[in-house]
Amino acid sequence: MCLSVPMQITEIDGFNATCEARGVQRTISLFMIEDDEVAVGDFVMVHVGYALRKITADEARSTWELIDEILAVAGP
Amino acid sequence: MNEDLRAAKLWLSRIHELPLRESVAVMNVCGGHEHSLSMLGLRAVLPEKIRLIPGPGCPVCVCPEEDIADAIALALEDGLTLVAFGDMLRVPMNATKGEINTLAGARAAGADVRPISSPQEAVAIARDHPERQVVFFVAGFETTSAPVAAMLAEGVPDNLSVLLAARLTWPAVDMLLQDKDSSLDALIAPGHVATVMGAEEWRFVADTYHLPVAVAGFSAVSLLAALYSVLRQKLENQPFLDNCYAELVQPHGNAKARRWLAEVMEVGPANWRGIGIIPASGFFLRGAWQRYDARRRFDVLAAPRRRIGEMPPGCDCAAVVLGKLTPEQCRLYGKACTPMHPVGPCMVSDEGACHIWWQAGLRAA
Ligand code: SF4
Repeated sequence: MCLSVPMQITEIDGFNATCEARGVQRTISLFMIEDDEVAVGDFVMVHVGYALRKITADEARSTWELIDEILAVAGP
Repeated sequence: MNEDLRAAKLWLSRIHELPLRESVAVMNVCGGHEHSLSMLGLRAVLPEKIRLIPGPGCPVCVCPEEDIADAIALALEDGLTLVAFGDMLRVPMNATKGEINTLAGARAAGADVRPISSPQEAVAIARDHPERQVVFFVAGFETTSAPVAAMLAEGVPDNLSVLLAARLTWPAVDMLLQDKDSSLDALIAPGHVATVMGAEEWRFVADTYHLPVAVAGFSAVSLLAALYSVLRQKLENQPFLDNCYAELVQPHGNAKARRWLAEVMEVGPANWRGIGIIPASGFFLRGAWQRYDARRRFDVLAAPRRRIGEMPPGCDCAAVVLGKLTPEQCRLYGKACTPMHPVGPCMVSDEGACHIWWQAGLRAA
């Protein structure tokens, strides 16, 4: 699915960031985020490997709950 | 979750309390919205007078056949690797019997076709194989076009090029609303497109067409809040642009993403599969960036290609994309056409209405 997913930043290296969600690690690009907008520990909405925007921990949690709910119906 | 559930129920009861007298047709233009509406079963719990119509929310479904033909022709070239988002591999085009009609078919015939899930993977493949030409076939809306623009702006190896079939969302809605026969009453605007491009992009719905519009996220709460908003607007005959996804969506979107888009791409008329040319609805590489345009780089694409047909025979996907038919009104839905054996693009893509309805268990009566 092409829906964006929330991930938490664990490391920042220039325009790249290591992010984590549900135990899965991925390197994502911060190229579309304003400089200084995010720091380690922040949550971002990720679409096709690019952070689209910083989001709150609350927003990240409820988005994951929604994705779980959809996957439960649709199957992985 | 409890809190979210309570909030969703509250919006639902508010919607039920609205004094709706006539039926109201509300269109969404986002595969993600359609997913949430269908999988969460929201249609079943809403008042009968509300018709939720999936509109042009699936970029894969509107990717023209000639672009798929181009991608297949490229994939079959020696020394070339074609990468695309996974959905694209199974999208069929009309072909004469025995001719390869999907990228998956080209792959089975020995072509180097690879599914990827992000532009960075395309860059990595090109870096790892400097001796090969790598072509990234991109069908997508603004949410995908901006990352592809960012990818090019960030710098890519010379052996990478892109075959763009990227589209803007709002011009298709504009075209639908221009239609005098349009029976649409309101629009739920796409949350992630608006995250990139800004909510303001959708103001024309209220200003030009005097129709209610609200930007929504993907949760039941956000979708129901947006639905309530447009219904209220309609009842009060006071359409305006509402933003029910303010956590993510700003009036002018993500400035940096829009900057990369404007720097790398320009907008022009583009063909939508089964629909035709829509003015100012496609992204194309601009100026010096055209050196990454696969259409300019490879001679195979210069040969005139015969236009084969719009949709496979019997497939109503174009009407489904425009919200004129719902999936179960297609004669092939669930019979000749299922996710295992898709006839048209709307059954292939995760964002296609036919695929989503089938996955959600919506069966023809
Ligand atoms: S059910 Fe299949 S054949 Fe019918 S419109 Fe959808 S994709 Fe086309």
